[in-house]
Amino acid sequence: MSAANSSSSGSLGIKLLLAWTLVGVPLAWGVWQVFKKSLDLFK
Amino acid sequence: MALFSFLDREHSVAGENYSRWLVPPAALAIHLSIGQAYAFSVFNLPLSRLVGVNDSAPADWKLSTLGWVFSVAIVFLGVSAAVFGAWLERVGPRRAMFASALCFGGGFQVAALGVALHQFWLVLIGYGVIGGIGLGLGYISPVSTLIKWFPDRPGMATGMAIMGFGGGAMIASPLSTMLMARFKTPTSQGVAETFVVMGLIYLAFMMFGVFSVRVPKPGWQPAGWTKTPSARKMMTDGNVTVDRAVRTRQFWLLWTVLCMNVTAGIGVLGQASPMIQEMFPGVISASAAAGFVGLLSLANMGGRFFWSSLSDLVGRKVIYATFFLLGAVLYALIPATGHAGSVVLFVLGYVIILSMYGGGFATIPAYLRDMFGGVQVGAIHGRLLTAWSTAGVLGPMLVNYIREYEIGHGVAKADAYTTTMHIMAGLLIVGFVCNLLVHPVDERHLEAEQSLLSPANA
Repeated sequence: MSAANSSSSGSLGIKLLLAWTLVGVPLAWGVWQVFKKSLDLFK
Repeated sequence: MALFSFLDREHSVAGENYSRWLVPPAALAIHLSIGQAYAFSVFNLPLSRLVGVNDSAPADWKLSTLGWVFSVAIVFLGVSAAVFGAWLERVGPRRAMFASALCFGGGFQVAALGVALHQFWLVLIGYGVIGGIGLGLGYISPVSTLIKWFPDRPGMATGMAIMGFGGGAMIASPLSTMLMARFKTPTSQGVAETFVVMGLIYLAFMMFGVFSVRVPKPGWQPAGWTKTPSARKMMTDGNVTVDRAVRTRQFWLLWTVLCMNVTAGIGVLGQASPMIQEMFPGVISASAAAGFVGLLSLANMGGRFFWSSLSDLVGRKVIYATFFLLGAVLYALIPATGHAGSVVLFVLGYVIILSMYGGGFATIPAYLRDMFGGVQVGAIHGRLLTAWSTAGVLGPMLVNYIREYEIGHGVAKADAYTTTMHIMAGLLIVGFVCNLLVHPVDERHLEAEQSLLSPANA
């Protein structure tokens, strides 16, 4: 694999990681908030 | 306008080094934002105390009046999705997402002004009308793009985005509460400031979607995947225009399928807290009932991804048949779990029902793609969402009015939901029959993909 290809796939990997983190973190936070609340049902 | 030419479809075509896995986060950024609508009720109580602050004053808005804000937003969601669907297919997802972000973020700012000036009509126009248009545009804008990027897994792709709509409320509800607590003073509820901040946050978050979304080059296909004559008989290889699709029997059968599935779930979702408390008096507290509502929200969101992904493997018709048959059986059996005092079975039954309610929303775009092809599926989906608006009125009305009628005729509160659940089971049987009648569209409705993409038809 050429250096140019390797660099391009590396930057794509970073883009993918950033994009999924940007939407995944708030979603995970929201799910966690609801999950904590739903535990009241089993108390 | 040249300034906004970056929004054009031709300027958002993906380059060689673009990964299709960047499209679902772009779609999620839009759906996680507009999903806030489901959490609007968190503002109702503070908005009803803007003048009195600690208690409602005579000059304050009534809760029944405030209910109109959400209702108007949902009506405009349906109307704008139906009206602007064809425009979306013409201009591409980036311009539609941009318009959605401006409307949704801007609607919050107009509503904030309405709160600051205590002018209800401004809140109604801001959040209900302008924000509602943003909701409709945002809801449909990534659908056909996702289907084009994931022809091998359209159910999973659209399921991911539509799951975001369910998840948006989970973020918005605690975020709104935190912001209002931050801005609250002895003389203010902090709602106007919260609206301003949330509008700006959503505008920025949606812009991430605008700038990262790309459309595939014409004729692009995933590596290693080739378009073969449909393996499943239910999938068309051609395309149907939106104007022709709405004149087919299949469109109205699917409209009824969605309407029945949503009606059966939406009424219960709105009444979940009082229902579990009334069916298990003395066993379920208000706090436990809130936990039940939270669990249903998780099931609704998870079902959107699970069922739509599964539909790629087993087919949409089988998935909807499962929703309707299993749903009808569960609705018929749930009153017995109440009589038996089994909270676990009651909760389990509703968790499955609500997962299928969410699954119905998420699987319908792929079903439409199977029937009518992918070229105008966003516009067709937009027209089909009028079924959601109809169900939004029908579902709560059935649950509320039948319950009131039963209690008015001396039925115990714990038994007042039995008739409603049996009616819901009946509605699901209607949906089952309609789903059974769905067959591929006649070939005379199909058009060549190239003719649909040409400027004359654009």
